Amino acid sequence: MTRKVLLRYSTQKATEPILASVIKKTEILPNILYAELSTKGGEILLSIDAPDKEVDKTIALFKRKGVEVQEIKRAIELDRDSCFDCGACLSLCPTGALYMTDDKSVELDEDKCIYCELCVPSCPVRALKLSRF
Amino acid sequence: MVPEIGGIGLTKTKVNKSVAEINDRIRRGDAVVVTAEEMVEIVRERGEVAAAKEVDIVTTGTFGAMCSSGAWLNFGHADPPIKMQRVWLNDVEAYAGVAAVDAYIGATQLSETHGFEYGGGHVIEDLIRGKKIDVRAIAYGTDCYPRKELETTITKDDINQAVLCNPRNAYQRYVAATNSRDETIYTYMGTLLPNYGNVTYSGSGSLSPLHNDPNYETIGIGTRIFLGGAQGYIFWEGTQHAPTKTMGTIMTIGNLKEMDARYIRGVTIENYGTSLYVGLGIPIPIINERVAKTTGVSDDEIKTDLTDYGAPRRGRPILREVTYSELKSGKVEINGNEVLVSPLSSLKWAREISGVLKKWIEEKRFFLSQPVEGLSTDQVFKPMKQITAVPFVRNLMTREVVTAKPSDSIASAAKIFAKRNFDHLPIVDAKGRLVGIATSWDIAVAVGTGKKKLSEVLTSKVITATEDEPVDAVARKLEKHKISGVPVINARGELRGILTNQDLSKLLGGRGR
Repeated sequence: MTRKVLLRYSTQKATEPILASVIKKTEILPNILYAELSTKGGEILLSIDAPDKEVDKTIALFKRKGVEVQEIKRAIELDRDSCFDCGACLSLCPTGALYMTDDKSVELDEDKCIYCELCVPSCPVRALKLSRF
Repeated sequence: MVPEIGGIGLTKTKVNKSVAEINDRIRRGDAVVVTAEEMVEIVRERGEVAAAKEVDIVTTGTFGAMCSSGAWLNFGHADPPIKMQRVWLNDVEAYAGVAAVDAYIGATQLSETHGFEYGGGHVIEDLIRGKKIDVRAIAYGTDCYPRKELETTITKDDINQAVLCNPRNAYQRYVAATNSRDETIYTYMGTLLPNYGNVTYSGSGSLSPLHNDPNYETIGIGTRIFLGGAQGYIFWEGTQHAPTKTMGTIMTIGNLKEMDARYIRGVTIENYGTSLYVGLGIPIPIINERVAKTTGVSDDEIKTDLTDYGAPRRGRPILREVTYSELKSGKVEINGNEVLVSPLSSLKWAREISGVLKKWIEEKRFFLSQPVEGLSTDQVFKPMKQITAVPFVRNLMTREVVTAKPSDSIASAAKIFAKRNFDHLPIVDAKGRLVGIATSWDIAVAVGTGKKKLSEVLTSKVITATEDEPVDAVARKLEKHKISGVPVINARGELRGILTNQDLSKLLGGRGR
């Protein structure tokens, strides 16, 4: 199962190769969905496709290295009650997380979402909502 | 009077049924009703004559943004009475220049407090949902209508008439949109990504109401239709009706109080404005094999133009023709790339509406009407007559431009700025093609930080214009990117001139010189 993990670290930590050393040690290959470094510190959003145990181990390792770890349970939501399947979002989604089924319904595959947020304002009835993490 | 329906030369047909006969069958419970999608297969397999004998009614459907929509409302008289001069519903202004307490709320009118987030379309949806609407009105006061101000709250049950009345609905088909610019643009065709990054289109293709009877043999004034979940009517050709270009439209009317908010939705189109999604379906009586054939139209046969909305002109460039079946596949090829497609109008809802209409007829809740008059089949959509010339970049740009090469020194560039009174230095290569731009500010920073060559400081991602661009489009660019000038280039990227705020200010001396 794919799990998404948000790392937060201080500017001092930014000079340490934390991510690289965790990858080297655990040999899991996380996908970086988003990364940012500012004067307030750094943020990296990882998508890890590995058995639960392995992911737990990875999270523990990050914590030991002084990184704040937060698991993202649900970040973007498609409100099926207001969506009327117009598909305005479909061509804006770079990963195919939003897709059309054979019966022409719009569906969201959370695992593929990289939180680019392009779809959110494109929805004519605000059926796509982003919960901040 | 013999109703004159349909504009084509009516040749003899093998199958001939009247609307009255078809209604009798509905009443007897033995009318054969199929949706337009189902009819495609029937005509393909059995041919139009057999299909015409077998099928009595084909139901169509569409659910898309129909900006040219609105509702007439009558509030009843207040005491003391008021002749509403201006009226707002939830802060969205409605047109009140008709008698005292009538108003027309248009779908695209924006809220004065919530902007793009709420508009006339939302007011209409809220009315249908039975929600309370705040009404505010002002007036100049007369002897018979002394009141000058009014504030109240209403629902659809409190007012007299609430009539959805749409000047232009159900476009037979519409162009597909894409964007050649190197920036995202926001249009009534939705968000269009840079460099042909996506495609949007509208219309339900083979389910499209007007595309199932493009000769207007059965659709006319007085045709009873599915409108917003209620029974409504066609009462005229729609504005911009262009049947010869297979871009026909209809004017529709229906009782808003009977409608279902599932099929009438107020919407926001990103950075564009508000609109109204309207659910609409027309039953087509299969009176002969000619009509059977047109209702058998498939998505492969309905073509439209893939159009570049990046051009800020009325005559937008057409990339190529696409079929609705390509569009509905979700991917379209542009210049060798596969590009994702957004439908904008809901295919699922269109299908649902054609199904609901079919069910209504089968349950004897909906009968067909014989139009009292046909719709035009040769009406032409004219462009606007304009009496003032619109200035283009070529009319205002400065042609003598001082340029520099990337290898030039910062010192020489600084000298140019010192000698001349300008702020933009376009940098060109040996062939005169634009490779970047440097502003006086860039040079000041370069001097301060000890840079040596222009290539180290130039901005290579330059916002540019072309000679045939309208000046208004460039003014929008300057404002959007917070810049004060743009180099003007041709299709080969060669520098032709520069247009700055100073050039634009010439307009104040007299537009369109």
